[in-house]
Amino acid sequence: MPVTRLLYPLYQLGNPQLRIFRPNWFLTLVRPGKEQPPDTAQFRIPMEMTKCDVKNYLEKIYNVPVGAVRTRIQFGSNKKRNHLSQKVKQPDYKVAYVQLAQGQTFTFPDIFPEKDRTAAEGSVEEMQEKFLEDEKQKQKPDPRRGGVTEWFGL
Amino acid sequence: MAASSSAGRVLTLCKQFQNVLRISSAINTPHCAANFTKYQPHVYRGKSPLAALSWSTPTSYLGQCRALHTTISRRGLEEFFDLPENWGETSVKSGAPWTAKQLRTKSNEDLHKLWYVLLKEKNMLLTLEQEAKRQRVQMPSPERLRKVERSIIRLETVVTERETALRLLQTGQEKGRPGDWRKNTFGYVYWYRFKEYAIPWYMNKRYKRKKFYTPKFVEPHIRLRLEKHIREKARKASLKKKTLAKLMEKFPQMKVSAP
Repeated sequence: MPVTRLLYPLYQLGNPQLRIFRPNWFLTLVRPGKEQPPDTAQFRIPMEMTKCDVKNYLEKIYNVPVGAVRTRIQFGSNKKRNHLSQKVKQPDYKVAYVQLAQGQTFTFPDIFPEKDRTAAEGSVEEMQEKFLEDEKQKQKPDPRRGGVTEWFGL
Repeated sequence: MAASSSAGRVLTLCKQFQNVLRISSAINTPHCAANFTKYQPHVYRGKSPLAALSWSTPTSYLGQCRALHTTISRRGLEEFFDLPENWGETSVKSGAPWTAKQLRTKSNEDLHKLWYVLLKEKNMLLTLEQEAKRQRVQMPSPERLRKVERSIIRLETVVTERETALRLLQTGQEKGRPGDWRKNTFGYVYWYRFKEYAIPWYMNKRYKRKKFYTPKFVEPHIRLRLEKHIREKARKASLKKKTLAKLMEKFPQMKVSAP
């Protein structure tokens, strides 16, 4: 990680507002597992972030009007064991449910739609596809036998 | 759509340039517009748009010029996803990561903006990675994530270099965070970095429990550790000498490089 154990200055009443330049926090927008209201977006955030941090982050960097933010910490399982019977811990992460203001709605889009991929003419991929098709065709049984397998003699 | 979105991505860079950029004549406008549309969001070396903008700013030229007004992108949560034409592709083209040498040529404002560009790109790639895991599909071009991380690390090193240089010039302090050489309970001397507290150290119970001295009963253990270390060093040196002697016996003409 580029920033080594940041130490934020101590806050006491009357201190100036803490400003963070070049924040080292990265959010991940995830598809909700359970059905969420239409104005809610679900994020995975680093453990050090708070609700206010998330609100400011989205408003300042992404210009998204944020209404309310609720967070919870998801425990990563410690149950699985590897080939040495050692317990393997899945990392814990914090989840933030962000409700958008101004009546905006958000649905998680389909990022991997089925696309017709035809290889370019005269390219290596096209030759490979053709070769595989020929091989598959060779494996097919003789159509003149009308579906009857080779097990039956004649 | 492509032009507006790619322009939108570069406009976060160019917001400040609207004051400086002067489009001198109608002949230059298509050239500049072409520069904006050619900028790929995945090109990390944004040298061409940035360099072109810095060269084509004759600030003294005030005759027939009109400022280019650029609006900030209002795409919100769409910025967590790639351009729609890249959805479903198996591989997405991307450029090389930023090197420290290139970053050192940029101004502080440019680096600040680049940080946020890289941050948004990394967020987008992380969402893509998570969604690919969810849909049990391969993520297109995962090396982009590594490139962005490297660029961020290099940007951070360049900024810290500049900060230390400024601090040395202004105050003469080498380190930003004050610290001290202290001995811990095991006899090791290390650089202890100070932490900010609201109360003095003699009122801090947790701090007083931390011992910055070596108790008397630890000294035999330290002695044993030292002996072990010296023994190991002696063993290594003798092994080297023995192998050298063996080789000299076999090959008396061998030239020995002086250490």
